Amino acid sequence: MKRTAKQADDAGHFRRDWLSVLVPAAGALAAVYLIAAPLAMLIYAAFRGPADFLPFEDGAQWTLDNVIAVFTDPIMLGRVLPDTLIFVAGTVTLTTLMAMVLAWIVERTDLAARNVWFAIIIFPTLAPIVVKAIAWILLMSPNAGWANLALRGLFGWSGEGPINIFSMPGLILCQALATTPFVFLQLSAALRSMNPMLEEASRGAGASPFTTFRKVTLPVLLPGLLAPIILVTLITFEQFELPLIVGLPARINVFAFRIYNELNPASGLPNYGGAAAISLPFLALGLLALVAYNYAIRHADKFVTVTGKAFAQKRLPLGRWRIPAYAFMTIYVALSAVLPVGILVWTSFFGFTPPGKATWADATLAGYASFFSNPVFWRAVFNSFLVAGLSALIVTLLGGLIAWIVVRSKAPGRGLLDALTFMSLGIPAVIAALAVMVLYLSLPIGVYGTVWILVIAYSYRLATATRLSRATIMQVHKELEEASEAAGARWLTTQARILLPLLAPGLMSAFLLLFIIGMREFTIPFVLYSQDNVVLSVLIWQLFQGGQPAHSAALGTLMLLMVAPIIFFARRFLVARGSGD
Amino acid sequence: MLTVSSLQKSFATDQGRLNVIDDVSFDVPEGQCYALLGPSGCGKTTTLRCVAGLEEPDSGRIEIAGRVVYDSALGINVPTHQRPIGIVFQSYAIWPHMDVFENVAYPLRVARPRIPKAEIEQRVMDVLALVGMKDVARRPAPRLSGGQQQRVALARAIVRRPALLLLDEPLSNLDAMLREQMRKELADLIARIGVTALFVTHDQAEALSLAARVAVMHKGKIAQEGAPRDIYSQPRNVFVAEFLGASNILDGRIISSDGAQALVEVGAGQRLRAKTPLPAGSAIKLLLRPERLSVSLHKPVDDSLRAQVSSVGFTGPTVDCSLTLDGAPIRVVAPADTPIKAGDEVWLTPLDRNGMVLAA
Ligand SMILES: Nc1ncnc2c1ncn2[C@@H]1O[C@H](COP(=O)(O)OP(=O)(O)O)[C@@H](O)[C@H]1O
Ligand SMILES: [Mg+2]
Repeated sequence: MKRTAKQADDAGHFRRDWLSVLVPAAGALAAVYLIAAPLAMLIYAAFRGPADFLPFEDGAQWTLDNVIAVFTDPIMLGRVLPDTLIFVAGTVTLTTLMAMVLAWIVERTDLAARNVWFAIIIFPTLAPIVVKAIAWILLMSPNAGWANLALRGLFGWSGEGPINIFSMPGLILCQALATTPFVFLQLSAALRSMNPMLEEASRGAGASPFTTFRKVTLPVLLPGLLAPIILVTLITFEQFELPLIVGLPARINVFAFRIYNELNPASGLPNYGGAAAISLPFLALGLLALVAYNYAIRHADKFVTVTGKAFAQKRLPLGRWRIPAYAFMTIYVALSAVLPVGILVWTSFFGFTPPGKATWADATLAGYASFFSNPVFWRAVFNSFLVAGLSALIVTLLGGLIAWIVVRSKAPGRGLLDALTFMSLGIPAVIAALAVMVLYLSLPIGVYGTVWILVIAYSYRLATATRLSRATIMQVHKELEEASEAAGARWLTTQARILLPLLAPGLMSAFLLLFIIGMREFTIPFVLYSQDNVVLSVLIWQLFQGGQPAHSAALGTLMLLMVAPIIFFARRFLVARGSGD
Repeated sequence: MLTVSSLQKSFATDQGRLNVIDDVSFDVPEGQCYALLGPSGCGKTTTLRCVAGLEEPDSGRIEIAGRVVYDSALGINVPTHQRPIGIVFQSYAIWPHMDVFENVAYPLRVARPRIPKAEIEQRVMDVLALVGMKDVARRPAPRLSGGQQQRVALARAIVRRPALLLLDEPLSNLDAMLREQMRKELADLIARIGVTALFVTHDQAEALSLAARVAVMHKGKIAQEGAPRDIYSQPRNVFVAEFLGASNILDGRIISSDGAQALVEVGAGQRLRAKTPLPAGSAIKLLLRPERLSVSLHKPVDDSLRAQVSSVGFTGPTVDCSLTLDGAPIRVVAPADTPIKAGDEVWLTPLDRNGMVLAA
């Protein structure tokens, strides 16, 4: 060993570039800590009791009571499971149908102002779901909803309804409106990159446009369709906001809400062990869906007819389908974007007074004005930006680093690291929040109840950044980095001066996306809520709940204004349309 | 200057370990240009990358400019950035976020101890002048043509005056016309700066014209090594002969031998003399280079070979003829004024009796 060192020194005092080992190792450790530590604590907590004890508390002991309780609870089997399944199945079906029709109309017909439609369909993804939920309640609540007022006025009906948002169909409609844009985006990309000759050949063989769609377009797209559908299943499955806001009055009981209920029972102490035990089977389901998702994306890649290349697509004339097509587009866009924004803005000035009954005298700026003197508002603004910004930064950098480890390094265990980060995609937000809660209630480092616990909790979503960075890193030819090494640059210099600048646009996209996700986040800050760490999305809900619709709507409007500028950046990567369009 | 000894490298693949470099040794003296020549996939790039430290060999020893940079027995593996090298990559690897000047200045900017700004400026401009890129020093990298990228890559590789210049298929990304021109410039430049160079290529003309010595690689081994002329005129086996130029290779047998010259039988009992140390009775391959055969309508010497012309293709300076020799196809490139046509019976005589016989 000594001889080696001496020889090495003679050979030119080389030493290993320790930074090239230390930096990735630190990143890997951080990732493991952010994802695995809370999960381990959660599983541990599920087997510790009595129920209202924290797992490490004095007096806590090993027990199977929590788990047994879950599987013998009549409510779990009779209500939670069926409600969750109906909610997910209904939403996924409706989402897929709507997204498919929208994508086909936008990408394949002579629809006018295609880009405008496209933008309006995508735009609502920026808005927090709470904001949309409140708008939909204002629109479709059985007694005072505008839609109901209008319908009753039109047909001279009296009483309540006819639309009732507080029902399973209402909940499914809202959730489907919220998730459709994600599937739409993927589908329209797939449609755009499909070789038009496949369809033309079918038309040439005498098939009608509809038959062609059924017999050619759909089967060709199907492998690519599978991944977004599974993803939507996963997103819906973990939903907490809409089941809380829209589902609760209808006594719909999905598992995410059930977990929250265990932590905030109507009476008594939080039941940590019970909540953790409920999480386990749903965590398993989430990860199962993730395995299916992983399988789907791998196999979609192998489908050669849908390439990354955009083809100039032939547009079909809508013909006599013109009116139904435009009607569908209009109703969809009205429900998903236009009416919610309109109602929100209106309510921020007029409160519950609907148009028609209101006069200009009813308009008030009180909703907005009150914020400036309200310290809670300023705290929420500060917290929202801090938590969204910082966690987006952490996740982008860490995710980038992990992508680098997986793609470029030869580190042992990188496959495991890859799997672990990918897993974060399958962990429902409620469960992540619960896990983080149990972990930091047990760790005496005083982050519980502060904004920092939110930063930590948000940062478990590494998969988003890892996947985006991975695609970008793979586009950077390896020889670009090697050329820097050969030019005499140390590892860190190469990363800082070659790789980072080349990845910058990709990392910027990831950061923006994560920032939007962070601003929209409701479940985690709601579950981990304290006076100190209130964020805007939670404050909006509290105001609405507290009977202050104008204030809540005003805050929602402000929040839309805050995230709206991002659409101009986002356009560059979200709405990258073919130039022939 | 560069010494590679018993280099061994394998990769893990789906089908188990793949031996990519198998016991490769060679020596490049100071100031010489050395080429690794071989078909795609024979392990040239991997060898070059081992020398650069971009791949870690399984075993062996590499010495650059008197320093051991890799030795498996001693556990030495100097990282790439501490090896005194410059590389021109096959893709050129010009950094797209920098202009020409910054690309070339980079090796000097990252050097420790620091080099003063003024000196960097001076050295970069000198090198850019050397490769004829001085006028476009401030052009962004994405706006360079293929030839310009090649020059920038070269300038970047030599700017810090490395002891060893490594080039991976430096001309393969250029179109045919440009390749010819850049080959001359490259030869010129390497000679002018007197750097020791190791380059890999699959193009035999490139290797033979640029390098002082050539190693022909085949399946991870060096099949033959030597000066370009020697390798060309005296290939050691069928692979080298075929790889170094379109050759006619016939099966044959040695009838009699005096130890230096032998009588060889090919085709349906046709005989000719050739220089070889192989003993009588050996099965051999007879190598007939298309441009090293004279064609005549009358038998010129007693050991000429009889063949039938099947077609004659006029290319300008020469005619490219397809013939059959007792059923075996043969190609001959003859002067344009050779008076033959399809259907003729002709006699073929080798211009040189050396290097024709290869062990079967
Ligand atoms: N990183 C790698 N992993 C596995 N196989 C590799 C790797 N790099 C090269 N190879 C294989 O090694 C062989 C030699 O490659 P290379 O040295 O690039 O050949 P050449 O440059 O002569 O064309 C090829 O079969 C190639 O597929
Ligand atoms: Mg190669």
